[in-house]
Amino acid sequence: MFTLLFFILFGSIAVGCALAVVIQRNPLYSAISLVGVFLSLACLYVMLAAPFIAAVQVIVYAGAIMVLVIFVIMLLNVDDDEHRIKRPKHMVPAAIVFAIVLLGMTLFMINATRKALYQPPSPTTAAAAPIPGLTANIGEGLFTKYLLPFEITSLLLLMAMVGAMSLARRGALPTGARIVPGSQVLPRHLVEDTAFPDQTAVETDSTAEAAVLLGFPQTTRGNGRNEDSE
Amino acid sequence: MNVTLAFYLALSAILFTIGAAGVLLKRNVISMFMCIELMLNAVNLSFVAFSSFFRDVSGQMFVFIVMTVAAAEAAVGLGIIIAIFRNRESLDVDDANILKL
Repeated sequence: MFTLLFFILFGSIAVGCALAVVIQRNPLYSAISLVGVFLSLACLYVMLAAPFIAAVQVIVYAGAIMVLVIFVIMLLNVDDDEHRIKRPKHMVPAAIVFAIVLLGMTLFMINATRKALYQPPSPTTAAAAPIPGLTANIGEGLFTKYLLPFEITSLLLLMAMVGAMSLARRGALPTGARIVPGSQVLPRHLVEDTAFPDQTAVETDSTAEAAVLLGFPQTTRGNGRNEDSE
Repeated sequence: MNVTLAFYLALSAILFTIGAAGVLLKRNVISMFMCIELMLNAVNLSFVAFSSFFRDVSGQMFVFIVMTVAAAEAAVGLGIIIAIFRNRESLDVDDANILKL
């Protein structure tokens, strides 16, 4: 009885927050609604006797990933809301077909599993059958039967780390690069890293101006002569 | 009335549908990204429900790996979003319609 009550409570919170994610026009409000979805799903995982997944859901999803998303939203400072644009006419029948397909999938899943009368696990019957979601069971599975997927996962994380660093890297000067003293003419792609093939000239009047344009740290010496890029 | 497996699967399907609709309706890249996270979470819910009702730990292994993929996706995806924003000064997906930066 309580299980049903809690399921309805957390399920409706999850659906409501998910609708808010889609309906909100400001991405920051969407992100906060998404945290609500994650937290209510974590409560559902606890109800499903999966405490480890619930904890990881809160720590990794609601903690790490959403902080990253909110960081990017703040960093890019998108204050203008989405503007409505005119959609092509053929999108409407496509959307209807897509909705019908998804609805059919839902009904099929519900119909296929309705007759399967599996009792929900409860902590009181833990002695009768082992609960699979305990941390010890997951750890055991992770290092025995699922060792290869686990190792592949670590490789994936390494690839993501290297990929993110190479994506976020600005076009940097080589280490040990020095500024030629005096006024000079620089190709634009050295000054702005977004304009890579652009070779048009940017003239500078002094060494200090060139240092600022090239992104060298500000030097205390007035003439800025032969400063290391460090 | 007990909470059966079908309840969780229905909730999962509803969340997945909302997420898919969001990906199709949204114009902002970050909002689309969040809707993809929502779809991943809906699938996670059905994995955990199956794992719990069939008393098999495999489903939760899948959830573990899906979460890792989501974290990797967040790192790389947000890097791509920042790179697009630097070049186009916009987060609208319709502005990023050429397959180059």
